[in-house]
Amino acid sequence: MNKFLSIARWEFIEKVKTKTFIISLILTPLLIISFAILPTILFDRETPGMEVIGVADTSGIYFTQLNEQLKKYVLPNGNGKYLLINLTYNNKNLEEVKNIANQKVLDNLLDGYLIIQTATDDSIIAEYRSDILANFEIVARLEEVINSIQIEKLLKSKGVESNIISKIQNKTIISQKKIEEEGRISDLDFMTTFFLSIVFILLLMMLVIYSGQLLVRSMIEEKSSRLIEMLVSSCTPEELLTGKILGLSLLGLTQMIIWALIGLGLVGSSLVPLHAFKNVLPMLIYFVLGFLFYTTLFVGIGSIVNTEQQAQQITTYLSLILMLPVMIAMPVIQNPDFIVAKIFSYIPFTIPAIMVLRLNVQYVSELEIIMTILILILSIFILIQICAKIFRIGILSYGNRLSLKEIFRWMREK
Amino acid sequence: MLTVNNLVKSFNSTTAVNNLSFSVGSGKVFGLLGPNGAGKTTTIRTILNIIKPTSGEVRFDGKPITYEYYNVIGYLPEERGLYKRSRVLDVLVYFASLKNIKKKEAVQLSDSWLNRLNISDLREKRIEQLSKGNQQKIQLIAAIIHNPRLLILDEPFTGFDPINQKEVKDLILSFLWEGKTIILSTHQMDLAEKLCEEILLINNGSEVCFGKLSEIKKRFGGNNVRIGFTGNGNTLNKFTEILKYEIYSNYTDIQLKNEIKPEEFLKKLITNVEINHFSVIEPTLDKIFIDIIKENYNQ
Repeated sequence: MNKFLSIARWEFIEKVKTKTFIISLILTPLLIISFAILPTILFDRETPGMEVIGVADTSGIYFTQLNEQLKKYVLPNGNGKYLLINLTYNNKNLEEVKNIANQKVLDNLLDGYLIIQTATDDSIIAEYRSDILANFEIVARLEEVINSIQIEKLLKSKGVESNIISKIQNKTIISQKKIEEEGRISDLDFMTTFFLSIVFILLLMMLVIYSGQLLVRSMIEEKSSRLIEMLVSSCTPEELLTGKILGLSLLGLTQMIIWALIGLGLVGSSLVPLHAFKNVLPMLIYFVLGFLFYTTLFVGIGSIVNTEQQAQQITTYLSLILMLPVMIAMPVIQNPDFIVAKIFSYIPFTIPAIMVLRLNVQYVSELEIIMTILILILSIFILIQICAKIFRIGILSYGNRLSLKEIFRWMREK
Repeated sequence: MLTVNNLVKSFNSTTAVNNLSFSVGSGKVFGLLGPNGAGKTTTIRTILNIIKPTSGEVRFDGKPITYEYYNVIGYLPEERGLYKRSRVLDVLVYFASLKNIKKKEAVQLSDSWLNRLNISDLREKRIEQLSKGNQQKIQLIAAIIHNPRLLILDEPFTGFDPINQKEVKDLILSFLWEGKTIILSTHQMDLAEKLCEEILLINNGSEVCFGKLSEIKKRFGGNNVRIGFTGNGNTLNKFTEILKYEIYSNYTDIQLKNEIKPEEFLKKLITNVEINHFSVIEPTLDKIFIDIIKENYNQ
């Protein structure tokens, strides 16, 4: 058996057996699933419980209509979602009403209240006050009702018949579809796309960080015990490097397969739609290449560090680079032609994550896919060359923290 | 036969190994001695081709040490440690596999070595469950499991109790009869004295003393006697024959001037002090080591 195969086998088997590996195997997908599914669930759900909304309406004509129209929102138990309270009945002026209402909101007697003031030209100034700012749902609904009341009022005064008015008020909803290759139409919605891409990036990130840490830790053990010297008196540093990368990749592959099985189970239980995995081949290629790229980087950098603290620092930096695509994910999804997205599509560090995002949200030409994959493969080869040089000297240096200058010198050394 | 010719290794401006030359035949133990930081480990690493020499060459059986020799070299580094969470047998089989030994054979070899060192009960244990001495034994086995022809041992005795030290010493001697070429680097001069035929003493990367141990002893040995006497040590000051002396609690070691014969010194001594012990002694390697290094620093 070739020596690098022995090394790969050892790295794989000894790490698969560790408790941390087994824990992460189960914990990671659990975390990611909750990351991906929880927001979707929370977004779509009506907030439970009835909301008490005050209305301070100086004209006195909107309260009844608001009350009527908001009745269509009901709680699961059949009761109305909103209870409207008229705040203007006791002949106080608006300032007094506001003061009382403010206090009631703070005392949690009201969830919030709406102030409606009519201007001279019959237009309306409306304000919603509450002790929180994120009232998207109720504000949107109130706006809709008030607007429709206004339109109705105006049309009625112009003598338009009421059945025409109700036709006018019918809303048109635009659904969004993405055009796939050969003109097929994707029926994935935005949320699914977004969370699938994020899940993918998170998976890659966790896999890389997790196995990278395993690797760096074992290298520190080998260095501090001088085991590394017994190793390099038995095989070349290149064999050791190749063996370690191979062993680690096998480890990653094992995790991926197990996670994929879990994923298939989810598809089976129809939690995740099957058509979400359409771009599966290029996605897999990006995933595997991305993993190889980062693993090589970790092996090279791992050979330099001597202590756990240094290792922690370096893994933190690398994780930040890995996080970068997550941070620009949102603008990329909204506008895949965004110039920054284009640039990141050609930088080896971000190719895998950004390209997967773009694959999911826009039609990416085959030329671009092939080009980015080639760039990634090429940079892996270059990285292996560089890391092999750093590795060869790094594993034998036990001194204090190394300067960048010194590391560059190693790279030039033959 | 290992030959080292004009070996030089420098890092930036510092020269760690400065022009060392020596050769070791098979069936011989060669002592590579020197104080801490003298350049022993760098020399060993260069011999093993772990680092490349700045100049000079290392040959084994006439050929440079390259990949093909990796499987016949055994190396025990100075600092110890093994994969703590792994099983003893797994670790041994792994190291054997790095020397191209098939698994089945590696298991047999491991078992026979564990037996020979009386620790066969540790076979299935994790390394971290072992005592320090036993961990060292496992590492020693890992270094020699492939029956190397060239064996480099860096401080093989540290961390062992006297019983285990003797066991390791006997093991090294048995390797000699098998015709292995052994380089021993150690601070324990008494053991070096028992095992090495030739030694190279280095300081600051340079050779300070090289040759057969017996010749070195003659060369640096001088004219030494050990006496036991009652009375004040100051009385020794009046003897012009004495070059220097060191008083210990039970005896005193005296170095005489070269032209003085010990028996004549004894005659003179008896008339002056009450003697209860007198013997002619060979200096220990330990003493030679200290003297030479001190002298080297003074220069």
